[in-house]
Amino acid sequence: MEPTQVYSVSDFQAVCNQIMETAFSGVVIEGEIASFKVNQGKFVFFDLKDEQSSVGCFMMKFALRFPLEDGMKVRVRVVPKLTNWGKFSLTVQAIMPVGEGSLKKSFELLKKKLTDEGLFALERKRPLPTPLTKIGIISSTQAAGYADFCKILNERWGGLEVQVAHCQVQGMVAADQMIRALKYFNERSEVQVIAVIRGGGSADDLAVFNDEALVRAIAASKIPVITGIGHEVDESLCDLAADVVASTPSNAAQMLTRDRNEVIASCRSEVKRINNLLNTKIDELLIQNRGEIGRVAQQITAKITNIEQEIQAQVKILAQLNPENVLARGYALVTGDLDIGNVVKITTNKAEIDAKIEKISERSAK
Amino acid sequence: MTKTNENISEKIEKLKGGVDWFYSDDFRLDEASAKYKELTSLAKEIEGDLKELKNEIKVIEEDFSK
Repeated sequence: MEPTQVYSVSDFQAVCNQIMETAFSGVVIEGEIASFKVNQGKFVFFDLKDEQSSVGCFMMKFALRFPLEDGMKVRVRVVPKLTNWGKFSLTVQAIMPVGEGSLKKSFELLKKKLTDEGLFALERKRPLPTPLTKIGIISSTQAAGYADFCKILNERWGGLEVQVAHCQVQGMVAADQMIRALKYFNERSEVQVIAVIRGGGSADDLAVFNDEALVRAIAASKIPVITGIGHEVDESLCDLAADVVASTPSNAAQMLTRDRNEVIASCRSEVKRINNLLNTKIDELLIQNRGEIGRVAQQITAKITNIEQEIQAQVKILAQLNPENVLARGYALVTGDLDIGNVVKITTNKAEIDAKIEKISERSAK
Repeated sequence: MTKTNENISEKIEKLKGGVDWFYSDDFRLDEASAKYKELTSLAKEIEGDLKELKNEIKVIEEDFSK
């Protein structure tokens, strides 16, 4: 046998690693975790297996973004490696739980850990700033959720300055992209609120929103964060860490803006209200004026009645003093000089008599 | 806050202030008609402004995949 090329053991190992790195650049493998252990608090070892095969995996603990346990189904992005001792191993670059059971288990473990740390405490929550004019969005511009968000935002309100950080919102690289976008907005402080937006999807699609580093980045953001992730039934750890949670991307747009149609209706209603108020005030004044006119008329009538009554009383007195009335009662009126021999006139009710005085006698009043 | 948005907010505040006047002790019937006309015109102006108001949505050029 004539060898074409002779390698030293080290060279052969290096060439093998080089070929594998080229052939399997960014390869993703799915399997179940077995023999999971952390050595010296920083080196993670586990076996990735299926029904027939098993392969050893290694990663640094700081790269671990989800709590893992034996039996969990995971997806790993790895670089295959032949170690100096000839052992084949996978160096894990990224790992995510997959499948409903594993995702739920990982979610519960991390939720407990972060809850115990106080990361989701209500007292950490900040209200949305008002008036809101500058919004940062973290989403994929190709996603339906982003389109829904923009549609509702534009329908409801205008005049907003919106900066969009285009990121992947699912898959193994998504969390790091969104973390960079959060950092970008926080470093510039140009927006008042950051909206993390992603439409509905499967539990696997939304798993990135339970990434520990992303959850911590949201909790640490100095700019308030609102999440609008998935559908109403979906709850992620990012939602729990956010200041405000919207049930969907559309709901996030609703929570961030006033409805211009409501404002228009409110303005119209205000004008109508003051129109009614004005009419009421005018009616009140008319009623008040009519009342005053009535009162004056009553006073005048009362005065006239008083005068009439007074006149009637005077007339009555005058009537009593009328000499004709005295004559009618049988008395007579004597006029002329009362001296013996003089002729005086006697007036009665029915006659006038000339009479000569013959005698005048003193009379004492009775 | 963009200029247009700011103007609308100011106009809405002015409308509210005008409406409050009708309920205040400062209300005078001889001034009310002119005020009412002014507020009606302001409400129509706000409505027109709101219908025209557009958002400025800009995608950041930064590449977040790196």
